[in-house]
Amino acid sequence: MSVPVMTVPGEPPAPARTTAAVRATGLRKTYGSGETAVHALAGVDVTFAAGEFTAIMGPSGSGKSTLMHCLAGLDTATAGEVWLGDTALTSLRDDQLTTLRRQRIGFVFQSFNLLPVLDARENIVLPMQLGGLRPDPAWFDAVVARLGLRERLRHRPHELSGGQQQRVAIARALLPRPDVVFADEPTGNLDSRSGAEVLGLLRSSVKETGQTVVMVTHDPSAAAYADRVVLLADGRLAGDLADPTAESVLDALRGLGG
Amino acid sequence: MRTVVLAQLRTHAARLIASTLAVVIAVGFVVATLVLNETSRSTVLDTVGARYVDAAAVASTTLDHPFTDDDVAALADLGSVGAVAPSYETGVQASVPGRPGSQYLLVESVADAPQLRWQELSAGRLPKATGEVAVSDRARAEVGDVLSVSVYDAEGEETTAEATVTGIVDLQGDPEAGLYGRGFVTEEQAQAWGAVDPVQLRIAAGPGFSADQVRTDVAAAVPGDVVVRSGEEQAEKAAADLMGNSTALAAVLLVFGTVAVVVAGLVIANTFAVLLAQRTRELALLRCVGATARQVRRSVLGEALATGLVSSAVGVALGIGLAAGVSTLVGSNSAIPLSGVTVPLYAVLAGLGVGTVVTVLAALAPARAATKVAPLAALRPVDSAPLRSRPGLLRLVLGLLLVVPGVLLLAAGVVTASVLVALPGGVLSFLGVVLLAQRAVPPVVAAAGRLAGRFGGVPARLAAGNATRNPRRTAATATALLIGVTLTSAFVVGAASTKATAQAGLDAEFPTDVLVRSYDADLPDSLSRTLLDVDGVQRAAGVIGGDVTGPDGEPVFVQAVDPTEAATVLRSTDKVDLPSTGVAVLPEWAAESWSVQDGAPVTFAVDGRTVTLQAQVTGLEQGLLMEPDALRSLLPDAGTSELWLLLDDADPDGQVGTVDDVTDVVAEAAPEAQVTGVVTMRDQLNKVLDILLLVVTGLLGVAVVIALIGVGNTLALSVVERRQENGLLRALGLTRGQLRGLLAWEAALVAGVAAVLGVLIGGAYGLIGAASVLGELGPIVLDVPWLQVAAIVVVATLAGLLASVLPARRAARTSPVAAIAA
Repeated sequence: MSVPVMTVPGEPPAPARTTAAVRATGLRKTYGSGETAVHALAGVDVTFAAGEFTAIMGPSGSGKSTLMHCLAGLDTATAGEVWLGDTALTSLRDDQLTTLRRQRIGFVFQSFNLLPVLDARENIVLPMQLGGLRPDPAWFDAVVARLGLRERLRHRPHELSGGQQQRVAIARALLPRPDVVFADEPTGNLDSRSGAEVLGLLRSSVKETGQTVVMVTHDPSAAAYADRVVLLADGRLAGDLADPTAESVLDALRGLGG
Repeated sequence: MRTVVLAQLRTHAARLIASTLAVVIAVGFVVATLVLNETSRSTVLDTVGARYVDAAAVASTTLDHPFTDDDVAALADLGSVGAVAPSYETGVQASVPGRPGSQYLLVESVADAPQLRWQELSAGRLPKATGEVAVSDRARAEVGDVLSVSVYDAEGEETTAEATVTGIVDLQGDPEAGLYGRGFVTEEQAQAWGAVDPVQLRIAAGPGFSADQVRTDVAAAVPGDVVVRSGEEQAEKAAADLMGNSTALAAVLLVFGTVAVVVAGLVIANTFAVLLAQRTRELALLRCVGATARQVRRSVLGEALATGLVSSAVGVALGIGLAAGVSTLVGSNSAIPLSGVTVPLYAVLAGLGVGTVVTVLAALAPARAATKVAPLAALRPVDSAPLRSRPGLLRLVLGLLLVVPGVLLLAAGVVTASVLVALPGGVLSFLGVVLLAQRAVPPVVAAAGRLAGRFGGVPARLAAGNATRNPRRTAATATALLIGVTLTSAFVVGAASTKATAQAGLDAEFPTDVLVRSYDADLPDSLSRTLLDVDGVQRAAGVIGGDVTGPDGEPVFVQAVDPTEAATVLRSTDKVDLPSTGVAVLPEWAAESWSVQDGAPVTFAVDGRTVTLQAQVTGLEQGLLMEPDALRSLLPDAGTSELWLLLDDADPDGQVGTVDDVTDVVAEAAPEAQVTGVVTMRDQLNKVLDILLLVVTGLLGVAVVIALIGVGNTLALSVVERRQENGLLRALGLTRGQLRGLLAWEAALVAGVAAVLGVLIGGAYGLIGAASVLGELGPIVLDVPWLQVAAIVVVATLAGLLASVLPARRAARTSPVAAIAA
């Protein structure tokens, strides 16, 4: 814990990897069968570049959450393939997927992100401890310092504000230096000031450490923090925006009729 | 609101299954205990007091004033009396064709009146005329055998007669059945064989008269020194005379009954508290849509009443069935069989009452809590913050108010050795302990959790946190198990001490395994060596005897035994005073008639030879004893009058076989000697004790099973409540196995803490209980069966783990996405 914060910014963690951090081909997810079948994903081909901040957008029921769950190995696709770097997720068994999630994927959810019985510090190191790993103290300090959690490490979740809880979740996601961080509506439950703070932190982790981040959101102003926006409608890809702004995202959404 | 109650019952039928099950099992437990108590009581009475239980009245007098024929006739003439059976008893030597030598038969008369005949026959029929006899198994004769019977009159003159065996009487586990053979003959035949006037009359009621009426009439008709008891009282006295102390038996039964009712009440209350905990929000919603607090309370209580009544009724049926099952199972191959089932009305009423009342009482607290909840609470999202409910101050104060006087009463009970003082103390303090456990358990679980977290990894640490999240619920769950474990271990420890004490008591009461005794001729010197060759005989000590002249100039029969040799053969010397060098042990009657003080010299003489010994007056019932050297200096040719045998510690069946072999050997070598298989009687009494312990331990095990349903319930509830949380953990990389481990740790923590606390508290109760019950009877032998105690802890913890299996499977099946999406 005594490592000076100064040394940290000069330590980009991103290892050498292929340019595509996550890739999906022909991804389908169908609920039910026959007449009543619902196609949450109806054949999606998408690639997320490493070191990029991508937002997935779309109207309610467009399949954006399902897409993220399949990409993150939380849910299994009906057809198609998902690749995390060189690993094909679709061929993994549950225990292998679980291990992969804790080692190579970080999560930030909309709500109920933290375990109430653990304090902030314990929540942050939880995924690494589940795998029996010890976090690198210097990196831990750096992450905690950047998220401004140094004074809050001993607090239980119910003693933290919503914004603070999301910052703890981000710290937890970043700590194992995952291949990709998935954020599911991370600002959905926050006031606008805390929301902006959280988005800024995700943004800076991409800029400063080369972290890949994929975020699902329905808020155009949140999507504007991303490098790229992928639009989804009725389970299909419906648009792709580079360097989005709130206005361009809004326009694109209107074009979908959402 | 009735529609709501009915709808609740309909919709939540599945949820109610768990609580119903708890009530059913608990009520079944109470009823089965009461029914088995009653059954074993009546069975013990039936075997030991078989001859009395069916009599309306039993009149007893003393040998000095026996009943005459006129007395019997006078009683038979009473209007309310149907029949009178005088009991004539005598002893004969009988030889069975094909068997060497002869054996001692205790002969008693069979009642003329059929309603007073108690003998159960396994073959043949009862004797109808002189020259006929029915015998017990021990006589080893068959129907149709003609016995040669030798009878000695008061002058020692021998007359011989023949008697045909007409039937074999099954004594059905009478502990005295193995001592010697029994013969059953007509009254006339018994008198012909030397039976003196009877000292006991069994009286049956005439048609239409009550037993009470008969007892009153008989009591009025006989002299004041005749004791008249009801048949049942006499049977209980017979059981008590045999078992040692009737109040101890009654006290033990009272303790079991109380324990059963208390444990059932507490377990139902606890289970219901856990089950209703999840309803709080639902009830708040009812308030939201306009139900008054009263209506909500009434709906909950109505539901409890319906559940309680229905499940209690099922429980009563289950209990009776259970008792019948145990009875059949135990009855088929045991010393004292539980025959059939005796269902007392009070058991049925107690079952229904306890189940219903306790269910309603258990629902009171959650109902009150529900009405206190603001209606808006129903709309609030589930709070993810740990619930920090503080156990009420009231609970603490009430707990202490119960524990302190309870412990004082317990202490008083131990000091005064009075179970009637200790029992209410036990109940009070135990209720207090249960109340205090709510406060004490969560911190202990937390401490145990910290310990477990050190080596159990992340799942153990998370489990420790989870287990202390809802302290009240954890405490309720743990308390249910604590109650079961406490009572079971109290019983196991108490039973071990009871057994050890009873064993010591039986050893003292019956110090020799087999007694070979000859009244007339000396036993051959070679007999002792021959007997040592019999398989199963370990040691033998000879007692020599002969007539000498006492200080008053009258002849007296004196025996002598080598104290060191005797000590190796006797199981206990507590009730035998052995002579040391230069000492004569005098029973009180001898000391009195010779006016000899303890420690004073006493002189015996034979043909001018004299020996003077120091008198040691004993209060024990035994004969005159001195050292062999002293007796030989008076009677150089004194022969062996008794042999004391010590058998190997084989199983009871083996020992019975050895007694039979010894009987054969003795019959050949010394036909007139009598062999008494004391060991068989001791074994029978031991078996009775073992069966009682086994049955009750089994029943208490049920309490643990109910408590484990509670553990399973709590975990299932936790799994439902923590669906999101478990999903999050799965998303973050907790494998299915780790999630199952987490719940297993939680269960193990709660169950383990409850088990350890329960064993500690229960052990103390067991020792206190044994001390207060047995203290009345004599010296106590305290015994802690460590292995069984350890087994209780291990089994309870493992069972707790088992209870976590189903909820854990359910939790592990949930996909992480479903959990997050919820």
